[in-house]
Amino acid sequence: MHNDKPVKEMIYPAVLFLIIGLFIGVFISYNGFLAPNSFTGEYVSFGRVRPVHVGSVAILWLLSVDMGLIYYLVPRLAGSPLWSVKLATVTTWIWWPSAALGIFSYPLGTNFGWEYAEFPMMIARIIPIKGLMTVAWILFAVNIFMTVMRRRHKQMYVSLWYALGTLIWASFTFVVGNFVIQWVPQGISRVNTSFFYVHNLVGLIFTPLGLAIAYYFIPKISKTPIYSHRLSMVGFWSIAFFYAWIGAHHMLHGPESQWLQTTSIIFSMWLIIPVWTVVTNLFGTVKRGWQMYSKSAALRFLTMGVAFYLIVCMQGSLQSLRNVNEIISKTDWIIGHAHMSLLGTFTFFAIGGVYYVVPKITGKPLWSEKMANTHFTLALTGSILMFLSLWIGGFHQGLMWASWGTGSTYAQFHENLSRLPFLLTIEKMWWWWLVRTVSGIIILAGCTIFAVNIFNTIILDRRVKVHEKA
Amino acid sequence: MKKLEWSALGTVIGIVLLFASAIFVTLWAPEHIDPSWKQASSTYQEQMYTVSDPNVYISTSNPGGAGLQYVYHLKRGFTALAFQESEVIRIMAPPELQTYITHLEDQKLKLTTRLLLLRRPVAKDLEKTFREKLGGDQYYEIYELYDPKLEEAFAVTETDGVIENWSDHFQLMGDQPPYYTEKGVIYVSNPKEYTVSKRNLQGNEYWLYNENGEPVRDFKELTQGRLKFLSRKALIDMGENIYRIEGCWYCHTDQTRTLVQDTVLNGAPDYPAPPSSANEYIYQRVTFPGTRRIGPDISRVGIKRPHRDWHMSHFWSPQSESKGSVMPTFTHFFDKDPTGSPQNPYTVPNYKFEAIFQYLMTKGTRILPPTEAWWLGKDPIQTIDIIEGVGQHDR
Repeated sequence: MHNDKPVKEMIYPAVLFLIIGLFIGVFISYNGFLAPNSFTGEYVSFGRVRPVHVGSVAILWLLSVDMGLIYYLVPRLAGSPLWSVKLATVTTWIWWPSAALGIFSYPLGTNFGWEYAEFPMMIARIIPIKGLMTVAWILFAVNIFMTVMRRRHKQMYVSLWYALGTLIWASFTFVVGNFVIQWVPQGISRVNTSFFYVHNLVGLIFTPLGLAIAYYFIPKISKTPIYSHRLSMVGFWSIAFFYAWIGAHHMLHGPESQWLQTTSIIFSMWLIIPVWTVVTNLFGTVKRGWQMYSKSAALRFLTMGVAFYLIVCMQGSLQSLRNVNEIISKTDWIIGHAHMSLLGTFTFFAIGGVYYVVPKITGKPLWSEKMANTHFTLALTGSILMFLSLWIGGFHQGLMWASWGTGSTYAQFHENLSRLPFLLTIEKMWWWWLVRTVSGIIILAGCTIFAVNIFNTIILDRRVKVHEKA
Repeated sequence: MKKLEWSALGTVIGIVLLFASAIFVTLWAPEHIDPSWKQASSTYQEQMYTVSDPNVYISTSNPGGAGLQYVYHLKRGFTALAFQESEVIRIMAPPELQTYITHLEDQKLKLTTRLLLLRRPVAKDLEKTFREKLGGDQYYEIYELYDPKLEEAFAVTETDGVIENWSDHFQLMGDQPPYYTEKGVIYVSNPKEYTVSKRNLQGNEYWLYNENGEPVRDFKELTQGRLKFLSRKALIDMGENIYRIEGCWYCHTDQTRTLVQDTVLNGAPDYPAPPSSANEYIYQRVTFPGTRRIGPDISRVGIKRPHRDWHMSHFWSPQSESKGSVMPTFTHFFDKDPTGSPQNPYTVPNYKFEAIFQYLMTKGTRILPPTEAWWLGKDPIQTIDIIEGVGQHDR
């Protein structure tokens, strides 16, 4: 009934890039931290490879797989086919080469220098990476937008709202963070623009895409209607209102104006509203179809994603309080927080979606339910280990730094620093870093099982049905 | 569109309005409300970046050499010059140039934009009578002030290459330099013409600074061929690029936060570092405030670690300089020494090292003029008073 070629073209490569990205993550956690300089050389040093890990998992896996899932759910919610499958194919052919080339060129020295916006303007002087990625996104946006405009179902389900929101937010945010930043005045204005982009990438791109997915697949799999339509509207509009204001909370105690820091803190606290409504709504839905939780690995991933979403967003609000921020900012805690949002929450959502979608679009049952169960166990264990090690280690380090301020004279402060020099606070992280690497290996193992399972389904399984029920 | 879709269109309009209001307040407004987002932190900072950096040229003193040579590009009617006597330096000059010399007893520094230079006295008999007139037992270094009648010249002077001479208490002899402000000007003190002797040893071209060598004639000779000088501005820009592409900023922050621990971590032995302010960053194309400290903060590194030798061995092997560090080695900042042998493979820093070094040396050294240096306790915001008030008391 639906032509799912675009879904396949986004999801299948994304699964491969997930494995590559995770592998690079494990590599840098070893070569950068556990045994620094085991592999040396210009092109494998931590600073050159780290953005490849982030780019692979955030853009080549997460954003791409989310786009694939949007291609799947929007036509079904609209009750009409995708506006143009041809346009989607063109989009894919622009998207994959430009994003992959851009991200894998970082070790060669193409890093643009702004976090999450490392994509180079040009590669080899002729390939405008960022321009191509922007064009691809706009084509994607046009395609989805037109599909929604020409829908047959009059009622717009909340996932469609989120999808529409993302199309607009992401286009603005991407252009601001990657192009406009070069034209704003140098210095802190650019930093402010950069953190606006950094936060909106998570808050107004990954969050609404992830929630569109969760709002679609959780009711589908648990076979219950959404708990409350009204709550989902409150959640959507409060996200639309609050998120764009809080980029400056990445610079608390930093050289940005105090009033801007305070504004970002206030809006960060208000974010508790959308989070609470979204989480209540999604858990309320799962609760009614609770028996499906034990039967479906996909639903387990989605539900755990909601649980992580609750924790990560509560953290996000509390971290922006000045006294909490003083301890945890600039430590591994933040790395733990970032992993919980992109891995714990949105990757779990996406994996849940992929487990549900692949059998539908191939018309074949999942190769192995057992492997999916094992994947869930490994992913959950690995994730929790990773978050805990980073949080505890980071918190400890933050307290050690704060201890330099014990006393009442500068001489005492300086004495504290000479008794506990900075490098000692780094050495004390080693055991936490070991746990982090082990947890990374567990997650990589789990996701390798995932990839094998998915590709076995696609390639080896026999097709059992031609058409799905809409 | 056959049918206007109000619910879809309304959603879109609502989203755009909400988003625009946030952009207006958080992105557009701040730089208009808070002037420090665009204004320089001091005229010293402004003159360092716009006047000094483009006119100071740097090269390794010779291939394989460990030191750096700093050469000042002087322009008539532009560069402020001072000719200062000291305990050990005395300056002789023909009568019409006497007025440009600042003697020890002078209250104000005399500055001029006339292009004059110092040299070893040419007329030995005049030097002898001058020395006799000085009398006493002390040995003086005697220089002669002369007018080379040039539009521009390359000169050397006593300098650490990081902090430039600054005067806010001076007397102008003749025209103002174009960058003149009442608050103070950067000047070059006691410039001597830059002369080199060029050699060719076993096919390797090299050169040495030599007081009796030949002058460098033009830019082409200075920046190309065997001398290979680069302006400090070019090096700082390159350094910023290297900092960017090497991803230094994933492990080092570049901000002293308004927290006691940060002012202590970045502080000098006797005085805390002042917190970073917005205007410290306005001359950077990319700013790296950072989100994680796997290595220490670099916003005051120009004061904390001013020595080039330390940075050389640290980039070559971080673990041997800083035990417990997890920093990667940066051996690609070094080339094989042409004078080394296979048995004794020396390495010398290449332009990448020099660039990153010059970039790092801008950190914390340019906020205010050296006369108000925070590391000497002259920090105008008195960070020390603030943190001694808010430090957590012993429990």
